Amino acid sequence: MHELSVVIEVVKTVEEFAKKNGVTRIDRLVLQIGELSSMIPAYIEECFPCAVDGTTLESTRLEIEILPGNARCRACGKTFNLLENKGACPACGVKDAEILSGREFMIKEIVAC
Amino acid sequence: METFKVMEIKKSVYEGNDRRAEVLRAELKEGKVFLLNLMSSPGSGKTTTVLRTIEALRDEMRIGVLEADIDSDVDAKTVSDAGTRVIQMHSGGMCHLTADMTRQGLECLGTDGLDFVILENIGNLICTAEADTGASRNAMILSVPEGDDKPLKYPMMFAMVDVLLINKIDAISFFDFDFEAVRERVTRLNPGIRIIPISAKTGEGVAEWAEWIRTEVREWKRA
Ligand SMILES: Nc1nc2c(ncn2[C@@H]2O[C@H](COP(=O)(O)OP(=O)(O)O)[C@@H](O)[C@H]2O)c(=O)[nH]1
Ligand SMILES: [Mg+2]
Ligand SMILES: [Zn+2]
Repeated sequence: MHELSVVIEVVKTVEEFAKKNGVTRIDRLVLQIGELSSMIPAYIEECFPCAVDGTTLESTRLEIEILPGNARCRACGKTFNLLENKGACPACGVKDAEILSGREFMIKEIVAC
Repeated sequence: METFKVMEIKKSVYEGNDRRAEVLRAELKEGKVFLLNLMSSPGSGKTTTVLRTIEALRDEMRIGVLEADIDSDVDAKTVSDAGTRVIQMHSGGMCHLTADMTRQGLECLGTDGLDFVILENIGNLICTAEADTGASRNAMILSVPEGDDKPLKYPMMFAMVDVLLINKIDAISFFDFDFEAVRERVTRLNPGIRIIPISAKTGEGVAEWAEWIRTEVREWKRA
């Protein structure tokens, strides 16, 4: 349910964009989702057909790019991937890092035809 | 031959809602209605705290309640007997409220003559943190039985609220709940946050909470 309400929001935004730019057919929609976002890509894919039903995106293909969840260790300054390292700095072991990226949920682009 | 054209949008999905939330916030300011968004996990004590808050402030503010919590047991009659307008919002299985849904709720409630509206949000710590409702201030309840490690699990929520109520302190002796650890974890995520321990059951700390609301309303009016 969480994903569906958000995907409906995405579809609205894309339709607005398409209208403003005179696009009538959208071949592909590319989203970017951070690893640390609460959005689960598989769920998004699952509810996409339902969200686009009856809209101009009905035959649009969905593509999802994953953005890494990177953080900087507050103790030693090393930058590392949070999930791969289970939150602990691989250099010094400290579990106190500032998140640099990975919370995004972006509409990257559309491929119009 | 069809020609394909890549058109960059580069827009955060939350942007549309964020924009609508800003508009609503400004309108509420204009109409002098202070909206407090109250969030927590199910069962942390939102409804009980809402009732306590009404009790503490009803003589000085005209209060309304938007009830969006699904398994809420607010007795609409008790609340309205206390001179408080309340509506139950039907969120249809949604897990969070958007600014548009909040606006609809406010329209349905009718804000004419109200100074202060409490929105009891849906019990959820994940996506309620990502969706700006347009509230003037955001509050969160963490209850003692939930444990002191919640800030580690749900950093977003703790990072975005103005105030954290730690509820059910009457039960603290039954749980391994480290107050200082919570304070330290939470202020690291959110240095400006105010933390108020309360018991919505016994009323302990409710005076401090009511005072926080008064101060915020005053500052919000001035800003
Ligand atoms: N011991 C104790 N129980 C509380 C307190 N506040 C709420 N409760 C109980 O916790 C349960 C859930 O409270 P409720 O207000 O409905 O939580 P909500 O789901 O967040 O709205 C109810 O049984 C309340 O009586 C408190 O301060 N101390
Ligand atoms: Mg409730
Ligand atoms: Zn380190």
